[in-house]
Amino acid sequence: MSDTTRDRSIRIEAMRYHPDTDSAPHLQTYEVPFRDDMSVLQGLQYIKDHLDGSLTFRWSCRMAICGSCGMMINGVPQLACHSFLRDYMPGPVRVEALDHFPVVHDLVIDQTAFLNKLESVKPYLMPATERALSAGAYNQTPAQMDKYHAYSQCINCLLCYAACPQVALRPGFAGPAALALMHRYNADSRDQGWAARAEAANADDGVWGCTYVGECSEVCPQAVDPAHAINQNKANSALDFFGLRKLLSPREGAK
Amino acid sequence: MKRSNEPITWLPFGAGGMLSALIAPVLVLVTGLLVPLGVLPRNFMSYPRMLAFAQNPLGKLLLLAVISLFLLHGCHRLVTTLHDYGLKAGHAPMALFFGAAVLASLFALVLLLRIGF
Amino acid sequence: MGRHQPVAKTYHPPRQVDWGKSVTRRRYMKRELTSVFLIAYALVLLFGLWRLSQGEAAFEAWRATLSHPLAIFGHGLIFVAALYHTRSWFEVMPRTLPDSAMNPASITRAGWTAAAIASLLVLTFVVVGGV
Repeated sequence: MSDTTRDRSIRIEAMRYHPDTDSAPHLQTYEVPFRDDMSVLQGLQYIKDHLDGSLTFRWSCRMAICGSCGMMINGVPQLACHSFLRDYMPGPVRVEALDHFPVVHDLVIDQTAFLNKLESVKPYLMPATERALSAGAYNQTPAQMDKYHAYSQCINCLLCYAACPQVALRPGFAGPAALALMHRYNADSRDQGWAARAEAANADDGVWGCTYVGECSEVCPQAVDPAHAINQNKANSALDFFGLRKLLSPREGAK
Repeated sequence: MKRSNEPITWLPFGAGGMLSALIAPVLVLVTGLLVPLGVLPRNFMSYPRMLAFAQNPLGKLLLLAVISLFLLHGCHRLVTTLHDYGLKAGHAPMALFFGAAVLASLFALVLLLRIGF
Repeated sequence: MGRHQPVAKTYHPPRQVDWGKSVTRRRYMKRELTSVFLIAYALVLLFGLWRLSQGEAAFEAWRATLSHPLAIFGHGLIFVAALYHTRSWFEVMPRTLPDSAMNPASITRAGWTAAAIASLLVLTFVVVGGV
């Protein structure tokens, strides 16, 4: 029987941090009315709308596709819109900013490092030659699409970066999402940019920063499986190191 | 970005990991448990038999492969574990441990050659 | 590096890793620590090889120590670690191979099958004394 008819509440402990006044984050407790269909995000929105308008957090779609509301919920990286208060009853629920990122304000983190890492893998199709509009669309078989489809589902929510211990230990590590997206383009039949991305892949901060803990794939809300994307490229990188790139028959030619 | 040298140690790590995944359990079971406990006849590891095994070219190969690849695999993993626990000394630990494993492998080779054919 | 500049005045949390925090991390550490046991076994073999090269007396003296309870216990631990390594290796193996027609479970099973066959070969070799 649902609890919508009874007056119930849950305590949310939200991380607060103001760059002008605080030297370190601290937790602030709020009592939030509970309905069993409420997401954690709705709990935060209630706080902001009725209890404390200064609580600051990112959100947008409310349906786990925009990737904005990534947070640590009881120490686990999750999308706030994709986790539900009923699973934490009787509470309290601890909501903190994503691990391994600098904190800008309350639950908002600085994504700059990730944006730079993402750009370093050239996450766009790089055909060898420009295709004229008159040539029409690219054709791709279902099998060709299968090769990269899962990796194209990334919503850049950064939960994988919060989960990955190597992101914490090695600040320059490109990280799960960036490397998964690198693989997404390398595996696309329309792309010939393998060589252009090789430098980023072959670096210590590229695929070799990963030790296959596998936590990234566990927390990914889109089942991208970045661990697989990265680790299948270690063999490629090693072969490339010994000058056996030809064996991989990569699609090359793009500048 | 500088290219990583990790492939130099990663390939032996992979070979050693595969070899040990395949036969480490049975080797440990036989040499460390079944024979010393007498479940298999103790003379399976007697001096004449082991000498004959080590003098056989295939036996030499197996002994060298097991000792060398287990060490190379183990050292790679050990160094990454040290890194996991916060050791920040760049590439020095890997060079040190991997170098030690290579030296131990050379020692094994020297011994195998000394034992003769 | 990169064209995006970091936001000014942010809080930088300390960079430390709690390896006990999740099941995944604990499993990872157990897997990684099997390396210590494999190194130990390789060193045991190396030591035995060295004793073998020194002649019968030296080798037999070393072989006798293998029956000591501590040696048995130690090899028992190594055996458990070796089995755990085998299991984790074949679980990881599908993820190091490119996407293929075979599903991950089949690849893992193929690994175990190979290990079983290899082990049987070793056992046969030992028992038949094909040296």
